[in-house]
Amino acid sequence: MPTIRLENLVKRYGVVEVLHGIELEMAEHEFTVLVGPSGCGKSTTLRMLAGLETVSEGEIYMDGQPISAKDPKDRDIAMVFQDYALYPHMNVARNMSFSLRLQKTPQNVIDKKVKEVAEMLGLSDFLARKPGELSGGQRQRVAMGRALCRDASTFLFDEPLSNLDAKLRGQMRAELALMRQNVKKNMIYVTHDQIEAMTLADRIVVMHGGHIQQQGTPTELFKNPVNKFVAGFLGSPPMNFLEADLVEDGGDLRAKGQGFDIRLPDALAARAKAKAVHQATLGVRPSDLEFDANAPSDQSLDLNVVVSEYIGAQSVLICDCGGAKVTVELKSETPIALGETLRFAVRPEGLHLFDKTTEMAL
Amino acid sequence: MADTTYDRQNPAFYVLIAILILMSVGPVIILLANSMRLDVDITSGVGGLIFMPTIRNYETALCDILWYEPEHLRFCQIRFGGAFINSIIIALISTALTLIFGCMAAYALVRFKFMGRDTVSLSTLAVRMIPPAVLLVPVFGLWNNAFCIDNDTLVGGWIRDTFGGRGDVCLAGTHSGIIIVYVAMNLPFVIWILQSFIVQVPKSLEEAARVDGAGPFQVFFLVVLPLIKPGLAAASIFTFRIAWNEYLLASALADRDTMTVPILIVNNASEFDGLGTIFATGMLLAIPPILFTLFASRQIITGMTAGAVKG
Repeated sequence: MPTIRLENLVKRYGVVEVLHGIELEMAEHEFTVLVGPSGCGKSTTLRMLAGLETVSEGEIYMDGQPISAKDPKDRDIAMVFQDYALYPHMNVARNMSFSLRLQKTPQNVIDKKVKEVAEMLGLSDFLARKPGELSGGQRQRVAMGRALCRDASTFLFDEPLSNLDAKLRGQMRAELALMRQNVKKNMIYVTHDQIEAMTLADRIVVMHGGHIQQQGTPTELFKNPVNKFVAGFLGSPPMNFLEADLVEDGGDLRAKGQGFDIRLPDALAARAKAKAVHQATLGVRPSDLEFDANAPSDQSLDLNVVVSEYIGAQSVLICDCGGAKVTVELKSETPIALGETLRFAVRPEGLHLFDKTTEMAL
Repeated sequence: MADTTYDRQNPAFYVLIAILILMSVGPVIILLANSMRLDVDITSGVGGLIFMPTIRNYETALCDILWYEPEHLRFCQIRFGGAFINSIIIALISTALTLIFGCMAAYALVRFKFMGRDTVSLSTLAVRMIPPAVLLVPVFGLWNNAFCIDNDTLVGGWIRDTFGGRGDVCLAGTHSGIIIVYVAMNLPFVIWILQSFIVQVPKSLEEAARVDGAGPFQVFFLVVLPLIKPGLAAASIFTFRIAWNEYLLASALADRDTMTVPILIVNNASEFDGLGTIFATGMLLAIPPILFTLFASRQIITGMTAGAVKG
């Protein structure tokens, strides 16, 4: 099984450069998720890996071999497309066996393989149907099955779940996670959905504006985002950002802003001091805010509830904090009224500081 | 049952429809009926639809290709059978060639980026604006002079033996000569109509095929072509009918041996012995396009790409 390495990958459309030197290395059997907002270059990167887009500059190495000049069919990859791209004139079995038939595989081998994959994906009853007679979820499965049927070393997924409704998406996500454990292959998965990224990935690569922002395990990225973009992109509801002045008070560093005055934990304070910044963006995740009326004022935020979104066991409150919007999560049974001002304790380890101009984490 | 009640229509509506049906089907019925009557019955004007049908007229028309000699004929005067075969050869081959070139050209124009693509795409339509009569004079000249090869040269003999034609081998008077003109004439329209079908084939299907290991030709023949089958069928009906009915160019380019049915009927209508034979040839002329259209229209199924991609 090969490792895949992208070296200084650049993509230009005419004079417009959309990817600016992507450097990435994927280990064997790793499930890598490229995640980012629309137009960040994640799909382009994947399509370059597949050989559907030419490489403007740089090189793709698979197992040490440069492959960027090779045709897609010579790259030993299988791909699942966002819109499934099933051959409408072939039934499910023929769709799945298309690449095997192109390779002139003996019919008995094809039959066996198709049967095996169909069983794994629960498609055994639909082998004779045409794609037009299948539901969205089944089509999605056929698309997966088509990729699984050919024993490629690397699987590419281009937003495979984005066309499914929310419930089906959750179900397919679970199935994908299961498949990931059973199928030992390199998998590269592109999505704009950070939940998919968090749940599936061994390694998340966050992309934005044609650059890699940060890569690492989901926990790493969630706990220690390198910049404001990554911090805001991962996690749901997203991280709250508050503009703050950093003021030294005795030995402590305090983040002061409209309606809050928080003492920063020592480690964070030390780093901020080292950079000698006086203004910064304070980031805190909704999950790091806890309803606690008795919390000390230098470790809490006083928030005025503006909107309450009831979503079952949890409610998401959108609150006002000195003109800035702050989201918090709260158990639904907590009795609160709109317009009330509540005190939320901030977990010290949940505090993040970002430079105001560079947006890098401090 | 309650669902099948219809609004009451004005009786005049049905009268109008009846008249329209009569106008379109009537001549065909008269043609069919008369083609199976003896001349005496036709000219006497009696009997209406009640008569003893005979295939004698068809025997007369097809006498040159029948395996037996019809009793009522002293000798075979008209060569309708030969012309019929010529027509079929020319129509089928020119249709096939037009479709083969047309689908590839249309695919290239839709999918490949090359210099002058838009110009080519546009000029294919511009060619259609030229009436065939304009083509006639230059094509006639070219086919008779420029593309003639002497008897003496080596290739000339070979071409004559292979493709037929006159003593000095010219494209004029050969099947190939007419077929080439028909292909050139119909190609623009076919390219134009197929372009609109190819555009509808989702690009990701072709990409999926490429990733699945298909080369450019496999992508085209295994994925794109089956999906534009309705377009091919529509285009083939169109080209077949044009090639079958075409008179002007065929009359100038064909000779005695390569004459098509329309030429034969026009040239010889006055010499046929009897009205019945004319009706029979008319009937025979109508049959192939009808069969072809019935066959081809079966392929026109809408929604061929249903289920390919989530729209």
